[in-house]
Amino acid sequence: MLKISGLSVAYGGLHALEDVSLEVAEGEFVTIVGPNGAGKTTLMRAISGAVRGTAGRLEFRGRDLTPLPAHQRAALGIAHVPEGRRIFSSLSVLENLELGSYRRAARAQRAEGLEAVLALFPVLRERRQQLAGSLSGGEQQMVALGRGLMAQPDLLLLDEPSQGLGPRVVEQIFETIDRIRKSRRLTILLVEQRVVEALELCDRGYVLETGRVALEGAHDALLADPRVQRAYLGA
Amino acid sequence: MVASELTQYVVTGLLVGGVYALMSIGLALIFGVMRVVNFAQGDFMMLGMYLTYYYAVVLGIDPLVGALVTIPPFFVVGLVLHRVFLARVTGGGDPNREMDAQLILTLGMSLIITNATTMILSPMPRAIRTAYATQAFAVGPLLLNQARTYAFFMALCLAAAVYVFLTRTDLGKALRAAADDPEAASYQGINVRAMHGVAFGVGIALVAAAGGLLATYYPIEPNVAVNFIVLMFVAVVLGGLGSIPGAFVGGLAIGLVQSLTLLVLPLQLQNVGVFVAFLLVLYVRPQGLFGRRARTV
Amino acid sequence: MPILAVVAVGFVLSFVVTERYHHRVLTLVFLWATMGLAWNIISGYAGQISFGHQAFFGIGAYVTVLLAAKLKLTPWLGMLGGVGVAVLAAVLIGTPTFRLAGIYFGLATLAYPLIFRIVMDYLGYQEVAIPMMREQPGLFMQFTEPRAFDLLALGILAATLVMSRLIETSRLGYSLRAIKENEQAAEAMGVDSFRCKMIAYMLSAAPAAVAGAVYAHAILFVVTPEAVFGVLVIVQTLTVCLVGGAGTLWGPIIGAAIMIPVSEILDTTMGDRLPGIQGVVYGAALMAVMMYAPEGLYWRVRSMLLGRTRRQVSAVRPVPAAAEVDAPAPTVPAAARPVLMDVRGISKAFLGLQALSDVSFDVREGEILGIIGPNGAGKTTLFNVLNGFLLPERGEVHWLGKSITGLQPHVVCRLGIGRTFQVMRLFPHLTVLENVMVGAFAHGGSPDHARASSLAALDLVGLADRADVVPTGLTTLDLRLMELARCLATRPRLILLDEPLAGLSTDGVELMAVMIRRARSAAVTVAIIEHTIHALVKLADRLVVLDQGRRLAEGLPGEVTRTPAVIEAYLGTRWLSRHGAPQHAEDLRP
Repeated sequence: MLKISGLSVAYGGLHALEDVSLEVAEGEFVTIVGPNGAGKTTLMRAISGAVRGTAGRLEFRGRDLTPLPAHQRAALGIAHVPEGRRIFSSLSVLENLELGSYRRAARAQRAEGLEAVLALFPVLRERRQQLAGSLSGGEQQMVALGRGLMAQPDLLLLDEPSQGLGPRVVEQIFETIDRIRKSRRLTILLVEQRVVEALELCDRGYVLETGRVALEGAHDALLADPRVQRAYLGA
Repeated sequence: MVASELTQYVVTGLLVGGVYALMSIGLALIFGVMRVVNFAQGDFMMLGMYLTYYYAVVLGIDPLVGALVTIPPFFVVGLVLHRVFLARVTGGGDPNREMDAQLILTLGMSLIITNATTMILSPMPRAIRTAYATQAFAVGPLLLNQARTYAFFMALCLAAAVYVFLTRTDLGKALRAAADDPEAASYQGINVRAMHGVAFGVGIALVAAAGGLLATYYPIEPNVAVNFIVLMFVAVVLGGLGSIPGAFVGGLAIGLVQSLTLLVLPLQLQNVGVFVAFLLVLYVRPQGLFGRRARTV
Repeated sequence: MPILAVVAVGFVLSFVVTERYHHRVLTLVFLWATMGLAWNIISGYAGQISFGHQAFFGIGAYVTVLLAAKLKLTPWLGMLGGVGVAVLAAVLIGTPTFRLAGIYFGLATLAYPLIFRIVMDYLGYQEVAIPMMREQPGLFMQFTEPRAFDLLALGILAATLVMSRLIETSRLGYSLRAIKENEQAAEAMGVDSFRCKMIAYMLSAAPAAVAGAVYAHAILFVVTPEAVFGVLVIVQTLTVCLVGGAGTLWGPIIGAAIMIPVSEILDTTMGDRLPGIQGVVYGAALMAVMMYAPEGLYWRVRSMLLGRTRRQVSAVRPVPAAAEVDAPAPTVPAAARPVLMDVRGISKAFLGLQALSDVSFDVREGEILGIIGPNGAGKTTLFNVLNGFLLPERGEVHWLGKSITGLQPHVVCRLGIGRTFQVMRLFPHLTVLENVMVGAFAHGGSPDHARASSLAALDLVGLADRADVVPTGLTTLDLRLMELARCLATRPRLILLDEPLAGLSTDGVELMAVMIRRARSAAVTVAIIEHTIHALVKLADRLVVLDQGRRLAEGLPGEVTRTPAVIEAYLGTRWLSRHGAPQHAEDLRP
């Protein structure tokens, strides 16, 4: 479904990604792990269109994504749940979710989509009129996830959903991701710093290190591989 | 001072403030979504006044209705101006320079609009003669000028319509999202550049309508903008740059300040009160009443 | 000197031109160029865009004319009064207003001339006529010969050009440009930004006042509030500067030479039939410039001409073999060296989030200390506290035995602590050498002294051959090196480097590491923040690990990367429990 070949991204002169190639097949759950500064978020932003690559190809269902701006890629069915959540803090929870289904293909299913999301995150139902900016970190992450799901996406990009959250909330989030995976037909690309949780959920994984793909493999192979540690700690 | 006299000043201030509020909402919307201070806002208001005058004198449409009818043409003009000019100004790719460059662009637009109008139409002031412009409602000891009262209520209605637009329609919510976080908005499929155009169109349509309402009691001439542009700035800053309810409250507040200044200063110095209030807000609380982010260096 | 050339041209024009009307245009060109140069000092160099400079113009006009009208004081002296009042006004306006940033500053400056206009109207000075002094026209600046006004205006322009030139090449000028690019970084390099802005504002008010006084005598004859405090004054000033190019001497001159004759001629020929044609011309010029050449004609032409030659700077530089240039490691172990900086119990919270909790460590002379930690660990916040940008709630920072907690950043810099930033802000119109000189000026001294320190710093990082190049074509690596040089030019004893290796290629990381070691051999202690542990593992003598605002571990790189708490912070508890702490040292050889 998603094919990236030889992608390099440099913005403001910073080499964030160098010659990265990876693939995600339809229906797969792929994880990308790696330390900070490895380029994981840049990779996500390159896929969803917030940054341009300086070299390489990005294909979604065989279609070249390069000429499309971000809002058009979203219209194709790629939903990006950004790092740091980036919910609309001056809008209510409900409005945030509604905007998730802004793209035409999702608009028709807005009502059912909303019901499904609120069933998944019951706490949001109580808080639906509240300003999203006033929610706790974990609740905001739920809003961000819910907003992504409202787009009825074919490819869901999750960028560090556990960032800045306490351990119990993180567990909940990962459980929810697992539940989402099992209940819907979508392809998931997850970027995470927490290696084990992320690798346990996925089918396959890649390890990114200073802008390059250092390791790849099936999830259990990577989990057992001590080289992953070296990618993080350099030793 | 008799209580009824003070109340008169307050009420007059509020009535006038309603129209200021409508003007300011337009400016706040443009700033909120585009992060650009539109220096030409007052000039579009002036053009709105002239269009309403045309409707009244040539087509015989009452200005209160004419003001509403200025909205569609100005919205289209706004979209076009954004597409042709504002969207082309990138300031060399640096987002800070982009905002400064767009600001200077609007200053240039303002100059062209004011001076071209002076060139094409004479600088002689005109006025729309309506029956109610010179009559007043008597409410107890208070006298409410009818034109100002009608204009006030129309302004409130329009402001309410804007509120409904922003909170109940998809487009309105998309505008607010683009103002809140443009990158995240694009991830939802919102075309942020197009939202800038819509914001600009709505922003100047609102101020044109406000101009039309103003024309029911204020003389129309090409240089009228300069008297109101600072009022609008003050209102928007007082409410908090980028906050639309803030701009509304700010507009009402400025109407009050302007009116109440007459208690202490002569008519000639009326606007000094407003300018001093402006400076006070900037110095003491630049983010205003409802501001979200005070812009930092 | 090019200034002499321009003045000579002006002089010659003044004699070549014969018609009275053309003299008027010439006078106006000189006056508006002067006004533009004045505005340029605060808005072009320092980047504080003022929409209220007409306040000083009007003050100059009114004070001079009122003194002549009421006290029969000759305007040659009255002008000094005008300048005095204008400079005082600058201090009064600037003091509260410089605290505001960006658009708020501009809006605030807008209010003052509006207030002055209304007040002047109200005080009855709607029309102050310059009293005719037929007996002593020269003494009262009422020349019958129009050429006299040209020369007077030219004289003022020349003086302002000289003043601008002096500013440009002085320490103040470099500091102003640093403030414009990045006020925080400037403060970290030792620039007292409030003081610099205020001086610049005062210096910019003086020529504006003089221009206003001469304008009143040469052009107006009757001073009205609208004419001297009005919008057209600031519009002409802005147009002249923005069309020509702000931030340079020549911009306002070019802008005035183009715009003033065009608008004046249009106004004279068509002004009756088309009143307001001037405004349309200015408006169109502003729009055109913003759309096609936002930096102004001077810079656009200059970069077109020079860019072709300078852009050919080779992007690929051969990385010197590590052995050739690498500095020998110090022989005394870190633990035995004296402590330069002692950080004790620093705690800092933002909006309810505890960014730093009781962080303590020390920095020893001559070492390279690495500060690492996962995202959000508080590393940059820590540097901001050490630097003086943030005040900690608890804890102290001691430098050479004395507390520096809470000192202003520029003071911290002058004490010997330098800093680089994650986001590099370079001054695109200055050469590499000039970029570095901004830092060198922190220690005072003449431009020559600063130049020498800067060349030395560039030499150390290996950029000496790029000294006269404009930085826009350089690679990230070279820009980082330039940033390092700029930091070193402040003659620090300790430098705080914020992610100097981020985004560099492997070769780049190597070279940067070499340069950092070189700095250390030049008796500069280094503290580095990095995400990428890899290079730090080889580069740093000691590591301090932060996680969620707390100090997690401290010690030699080999030890720290084996510490379970550190592994857990980076990879999670469950990874640690799966893989455990490594047992054998051999597993870890890099």
